[in-house]
Amino acid sequence: MMRTVEILLVIVIITGAFITASFFAVLPTPRQVSPMNLRRLALTTLQTLDVDHGLSQTVFEPANDTTWNDLKIALSACLPPNIVYNMTVYEVQTGATQLYNMTNSLSNAASLGVSTGASSYFVASSNVTFNFIPEKIGEHGGGGTLYILNCSDAYGWWITGYTAQKLAEDLYDLLSPYFQATIMVQNTTQLGTILNGTAISSSPYENIANAVVINTCGEAVPIPSGFYATQGTQDSYAKYCYILGQKTRQFNLTWASIVGYPLYYVSNAGLFPSDQNTWGIYGMRLVGPAGLNAFLEGLDNQPYVYNNNWITGSVAGSVYLSSESQYYCNYYGIYPSYYQSSSRALPTSILTTYHLNVPTYIFDPSGGYIAGAVYRNTASGALLALGLTRSPDIRLTALGLLAHYKPRLYRSDYNAVGTSRLVILQLGQMGGV
Amino acid sequence: MVALTIFLAALLLFITLFNQTIQTAVLYQRHRVIASKCTDLLDNILLNPGYPTYWGPSNVTPTNFGLQDPEFTQYRLSPFSLMRLKSLTGTPLYYPKTGLTYSNITMGFGNFLFVPYSEVVNYSTVSRLLGTNNTYDFQLNIAPIVTVSISEFKSSDPLIVTVSVTGKGFPLAGATLSYCFLTVDLQGGGAYPSYTTAYGSAYTDEKGTAFLQFPQITDDDTSYALIVYAYSSNLIGMNYHQRVTEDRQYAIPLIDDFGTRTVLIAHSYDVHYFGPPVAEISYNATFVLLTEDFTLREMPIENSTGKIGKVNYGEGKPYGTLTIPTENPGILIITYRKSANEGGIILMPWGLSTMAFEITFGADMFGKEWVATDIRQVTVSGMAYQAKLAVWSLEGYQVKG
Repeated sequence: MMRTVEILLVIVIITGAFITASFFAVLPTPRQVSPMNLRRLALTTLQTLDVDHGLSQTVFEPANDTTWNDLKIALSACLPPNIVYNMTVYEVQTGATQLYNMTNSLSNAASLGVSTGASSYFVASSNVTFNFIPEKIGEHGGGGTLYILNCSDAYGWWITGYTAQKLAEDLYDLLSPYFQATIMVQNTTQLGTILNGTAISSSPYENIANAVVINTCGEAVPIPSGFYATQGTQDSYAKYCYILGQKTRQFNLTWASIVGYPLYYVSNAGLFPSDQNTWGIYGMRLVGPAGLNAFLEGLDNQPYVYNNNWITGSVAGSVYLSSESQYYCNYYGIYPSYYQSSSRALPTSILTTYHLNVPTYIFDPSGGYIAGAVYRNTASGALLALGLTRSPDIRLTALGLLAHYKPRLYRSDYNAVGTSRLVILQLGQMGGV
Repeated sequence: MVALTIFLAALLLFITLFNQTIQTAVLYQRHRVIASKCTDLLDNILLNPGYPTYWGPSNVTPTNFGLQDPEFTQYRLSPFSLMRLKSLTGTPLYYPKTGLTYSNITMGFGNFLFVPYSEVVNYSTVSRLLGTNNTYDFQLNIAPIVTVSISEFKSSDPLIVTVSVTGKGFPLAGATLSYCFLTVDLQGGGAYPSYTTAYGSAYTDEKGTAFLQFPQITDDDTSYALIVYAYSSNLIGMNYHQRVTEDRQYAIPLIDDFGTRTVLIAHSYDVHYFGPPVAEISYNATFVLLTEDFTLREMPIENSTGKIGKVNYGEGKPYGTLTIPTENPGILIITYRKSANEGGIILMPWGLSTMAFEITFGADMFGKEWVATDIRQVTVSGMAYQAKLAVWSLEGYQVKG
């Protein structure tokens, strides 16, 4: 009898333990086990509604504006039927005790139910101006001067549709914020002065060593009269290109060729008044492929050897911006087309022949050719060459230089009073368990 | 003895009861893992462009899978990457003249999208790249949020068309409609058909409906196509409707190569043979882009790259070839003519979103036991889409299909 009572007691104790355990071990409802991610749905809904800044415009409108009704319709239309919402817009205040001040609210249900998720989204008024302060190239030593060849006495070739002067102007607008000194080289005489190692401006920041020189004349290169024309006349001025290569090495310049076959012609209206480039453009002389070969020889400090072999190639199909360039497109806000045609791409073989490294690929190499890159000699000096088909897109030159030097951008605060609003979209799921 | 038996029986009963509770809790935990996997996987797919970054408009098989448009951030998808997904739902098409099978994303007669298996990315590859093979299966559906329905209210003199615009949960009242109306001319333009275009705009009423009237259609035998874009508060949708006078012998565009943007033009009898008589089909192709103000802008196709041509059924009759003139998304419009009064118009999107096509990609989830789903609102070339992912486990007790 005693044993039976004990067993009954044990059963009562175990039952009590089970009931107690069951009471605490509450299993979640299916909705809690496999919830729809309402926070993400809310965020992506707000992003979809703001894809062309429509939401950003509406939230700054007065509460009685008709665009609010359109927004309400769009919200109801894009959410699944079992999802209800409450969207609240707050004005962001600064210097006040209350940071957020509600300006309007939209909802399509009295209650959002027990399962809700919310996302917040900041929008800025179209009146806001975004500012940034770029780091100057050379700010921490080493160059910082940009020379843009804007020579009034030299003509361009393969810059069809533009003039060298117009390209120079655009390059100035694009790149001058990033350099300590940006100097327009107004004529070939000034170019000769630079090549002699003498400054041409009164800017305290002008420094020929480690400078960047952009040749806006396309396949033609301006040639100064006098010493350089005399010394460089050999082999249809291929020797001048050799001297340019030497000067690039001497001053550790970065020489930028914006389009086509680099150094294919030499140009000086005063020097060649009755010569033409074989295509009817006077003031210009044909150098041919020997110009680039001579430049690279000079850059590598090799003895001058006349070599008129054509070395560039035409890349089949399109060439595509490298992933590095694409990154810097977003960073600097420069958006050229990501694919281009290249009929003057430099061969990869020059890397070994002339001891060049490629620190920056503007385009991905294709079939043994590089359509655009910065080639830096292992000792000193660099060449930026864009072997693209005309007409030039100087944004690519700017992108290549910025991707090479990587100046940082310090973005300014734009959270001014009345220019930012906080949108909170809270979603609730109706029906089901 | 009786007491001991009762004790043992009770003990066994309670062990079973406790065990069931624990088992259910473990099961719920596994289900929660699948739900978490679903939401992570969806973000992983939608928030990275894959590698190579521009694998969509190329022939390259990605080594890292993602559908984000590489030119944008956040939930914006590449229309070309989507086009390269192997459709789960469409019946594959075999074209004997190339010996290739094509993934079928067609949305009905006259709105074709066939991509060769050699160019599509299949589910097993993607599953391997995402690391879900042998552990989870999934199905991804990308469908437009805005549904634009077009139907004929009056067939001619004048043609009146009803356009209804609805979202996922509500009609889109007051939406702006921007439309392009293309009338096929079978008799002008010499041996090849041509078309004329007319543009217009309208607004939907409070029920999301609008009636469009075209007095230029005076008889029922005129072929036409109507492309309508609807937008309101940045929600953009589109649809199209066409009427043809010959629906057996027509031209079918088949994508040949994404890298070179070539499209083959096949005779329909090489795909679906309806019996004699067989007639040669002449065609005239045009490519149009959608501009920011929702009008269509023509991008000329050079004659040398296959703008016009003739195709016929049978051996020794080659297919036509044309090259899309741009890498931007647009619509390929092909007018075709069988005879002076029989012909029609065919549309093909270049970039999935330009004709609001829907794609379902992945494994079949029919009969699966526990399927976790999650959704995101995305945009594809500005068009509002909803991405829905369903995930289920392939291993474990009571969780696999």
